Amino acid sequence: MKAKFSRRMAAASLVAVSALVLSACSSSVDDAASGSGDCGSWSIAMHAWGGYTASANVVSEVAKAQGCTITQTTLDEGPTTYDAMEAGTIDVIIEDWGGGRWKDWVDRGAIKEVGPNGNVGLIGMYVAPWMAEKYPDITDSKNLNKYASLFKTSDSGGKGAWYEGPPGYTTIGEKLVAANKLNFKVIFTGSEAALIDIFTKAEANKTPAIAYAWQPWTLFAKIPNMEKGHVHFPANDWTDPAKASGLTDYPESPLQKLATTKLMDSGSVFAKIVQNFNWTNDDQNSVALDIESGMDPAAAAKKWIDANPDKVKAWLG
Amino acid sequence: MHVRKSYVLLGSFVIWVILAILYHGKNTLQLDTYENTSFTSFVGEQASSIRGNRTKSSLFIYFFNPLRAFINGCVQIVRTLIAIPAGNSIIPIIGWLGVIALVGFLVYVTSQWRTALLAVTLLFACGALNMWTYTMDSIAMTVAAVVLSLAIGIPIGIAAGLSDRVLKVVTPFLDLAQILPTLVYMAPLALVFLIGAASATIATMIYSIPISIRITSHAIRNLNPAPVEASVSMGSTSKQTLTKVQLPMAKQMIVLGINQTVMAALSFAVIAALIGAPGLGKPVIEALIIRNVGQGFVAGFAVVFLAILMDRSTSAAARKQESFIPPTAKQIKNKRIVTAVLGVLTVVAIYLSRTLLWAAVWPKSINISQQVEDVTNKITVWITTHFSFFTVGFRDLISNWVLNPLESLLSQSPWFITVAMIVLIAILVGGVRVAILAFVLLMAIVYSGLWYEAMITLTQTIVATILTMSVGILLGIWIGRSDRAQSVLRPFLDAGQTLPAFVYLIPMLGLFGPTRFTAIATGIIYSIPIVVKIVGEGIRAVPVALTEAATSAGSTTRQIITKVQLPAAKKTILLATNQGLIFVLAVVVIGGFVGSGGLGYLVIVGNLKPELQGKGLISGAVILLLGVIFDRVAQAGARRSS
Repeated sequence: MKAKFSRRMAAASLVAVSALVLSACSSSVDDAASGSGDCGSWSIAMHAWGGYTASANVVSEVAKAQGCTITQTTLDEGPTTYDAMEAGTIDVIIEDWGGGRWKDWVDRGAIKEVGPNGNVGLIGMYVAPWMAEKYPDITDSKNLNKYASLFKTSDSGGKGAWYEGPPGYTTIGEKLVAANKLNFKVIFTGSEAALIDIFTKAEANKTPAIAYAWQPWTLFAKIPNMEKGHVHFPANDWTDPAKASGLTDYPESPLQKLATTKLMDSGSVFAKIVQNFNWTNDDQNSVALDIESGMDPAAAAKKWIDANPDKVKAWLG
Repeated sequence: MHVRKSYVLLGSFVIWVILAILYHGKNTLQLDTYENTSFTSFVGEQASSIRGNRTKSSLFIYFFNPLRAFINGCVQIVRTLIAIPAGNSIIPIIGWLGVIALVGFLVYVTSQWRTALLAVTLLFACGALNMWTYTMDSIAMTVAAVVLSLAIGIPIGIAAGLSDRVLKVVTPFLDLAQILPTLVYMAPLALVFLIGAASATIATMIYSIPISIRITSHAIRNLNPAPVEASVSMGSTSKQTLTKVQLPMAKQMIVLGINQTVMAALSFAVIAALIGAPGLGKPVIEALIIRNVGQGFVAGFAVVFLAILMDRSTSAAARKQESFIPPTAKQIKNKRIVTAVLGVLTVVAIYLSRTLLWAAVWPKSINISQQVEDVTNKITVWITTHFSFFTVGFRDLISNWVLNPLESLLSQSPWFITVAMIVLIAILVGGVRVAILAFVLLMAIVYSGLWYEAMITLTQTIVATILTMSVGILLGIWIGRSDRAQSVLRPFLDAGQTLPAFVYLIPMLGLFGPTRFTAIATGIIYSIPIVVKIVGEGIRAVPVALTEAATSAGSTTRQIITKVQLPAAKKTILLATNQGLIFVLAVVVIGGFVGSGGLGYLVIVGNLKPELQGKGLISGAVILLLGVIFDRVAQAGARRSS
């Protein structure tokens, strides 16, 4: 028994070895493959929201057309990506909402702030648009408590259900509820898709809902009059969410690009593209809409690039 | 006066409810998600300093970083062999045709042609689902993790098998590793080793080394003593006895241990994607983010196929070790010829897979993933639209009548009353000793600042466990009593255990929305298979004589079940409850992705926001403490009742 087993193992190893030897002595597929461009090989972080996918794919396609090899790596926003940049496995974040939470990494020299990417983010709380029509005063935050009971669900413990988004998103939801003494319970839904579901179902079925939303977002194109449901808190007076009191609304934040020192000092074409990348909220929304209706992200990016050659030319400097 | 335990339990419960109503909302230790206590801030600062130390501290430079590089290297070697391009190449060293041929050949050589055919078919199916590279990556991760786990686990297992002292030292760690929910130690690992293949492999090893130690030690200890004694009495040294008698005799069990280690490592594959591991976990997680059920199921099927492939191949190899019928000379000759022919074909296939592009990179034309995705999505949409009345209704029923009252009782009463009540229950179930342990651990949770969140998670865990046990015990009794039921249910149970929880989390989200019930429903699906299996085994293990005696005395079926089989299987049922609760605890944490809040959400958000990193790490520890409390109390209870 034992002898047979080891004989069989010997046969198996013989097979494997001869295969490898044969392969080494023959020409392989690689000989026919083309080499990569001299722009270099770079990695762009991919984050979990539609707008980001749009921006990242446009940047990738422009870079690839210049001969760069671009890898897209999906990973969580925030410290996970900053760590990866410090370790050298990621080179660029094309859109960060984080308002400076990368400070430690910049201090250590791992990350460089490259500047704003042209998109301006505005977060806010929104009710389903039909509610703004039926209860016109609901969009003033001072009146929310009057309507809190409308938003009750089996999960909200007797208060109104106040929905927040994915865990990494910048938010002061709990502070808003506490500081303004709102009779609501904050529920973290965990995904962009859950928020889309909440708004879409609420508007279609005329059921009450209040949830976190932001511009730029394709949902504003899909649900007409979405902006009418914007609940307004007193004017913003903070930039760092950690220092917000909760009494005032979110600020307009220019979204930032972050890159490794290695990339920005490399002098490569990709560094130039990242440095100069700049486009508007409408640009991003149009590409994101295409992707959401099923177009391949790279194809959607190429479509926009073909339609806007002057903007792209400006990035190539 | 001796008071019956159940009356004491009931009485204290009534007192608890009264106190909870009287003092509702006071001293609950509730914190908003963004708030830190001094302890959580302290831990957060330590975490930041570890980050800064990665390039400076000598512990990192001389130990952690080289370790990470070594493990990354091991994984890279296997990956470049079958999964990703090596160096400047555009193809891995062995392309898909070569891999399929090689796997078929190896399985044939170590077991039989039927298993080899199954293996080849399953691999082909993975490729047809457009998951080839991911499958190869998962195989690479599993192989690397298993080899490293066995290299560490088998020697320790042998030592524990031979020496009682080693066993005593090692056992607490083995127990701890089994209770530890996986999501809990991923964040600390990622902090030290960065995300990527290294952390994922180490996390897998933490999970699978205890299994190989346990089985190897068990194998050595349970050998027939006669040959061992004979060898010793003939004057062999202990090394000779070990290598020439004990190990060969234990070989079958050890190969079984390899099977279990492989399955454990593979089950980690999906979760490991959360810390950057390559493999099938990635498309599953991406599907969860964009909520594409079909895409999740396509990758999920590939995971199931790979699991079946590895399970059947390794257990067939184990069975091969012990065939008692020696083959005839003709059979040996035939086998040699077939082996030689297959060997040549394999070499040719590998050669082709290096020289022809269609044999190296999976051809785009053989791809049914889009169809599978579309069909799955259609079915899911149909179910969510047509069944939503029932699903939403059921969810609201359980939420309003079970979840909310229990959550109010546990989290809205003053913390000291809840602690006292839990300790009291521990005394009644498991005795004073384990109650003291429970008290200490509960106070640790209070000190951590996360008491309120812990009570939220505890509520969901209890409700999920109760529901799991209700359905699980019924199904377990059924398969325990009926062979046909067992053969019908077995494939579903196997699929339920191998299909990653993330895959059905998405349809759960569609059915129940972002609520606590979604997490509970997912936890139930995840833990029912193990509960059903254990209860089924327990019922089957009830001596036939007992049931026959009851039948001949005129008992009805119901009486036999409730008065004979269940009581005799009591210990097994307690074990099933214990396991069920631990499985549920692991999944309820994942519920943080879909709106269940509690400790799971804190673990997840701690990874994404630096200011909450301390809270996230502590949440992981609190989850472990909850698991330990329940494991110890349930085990003490089981010991007492036997």
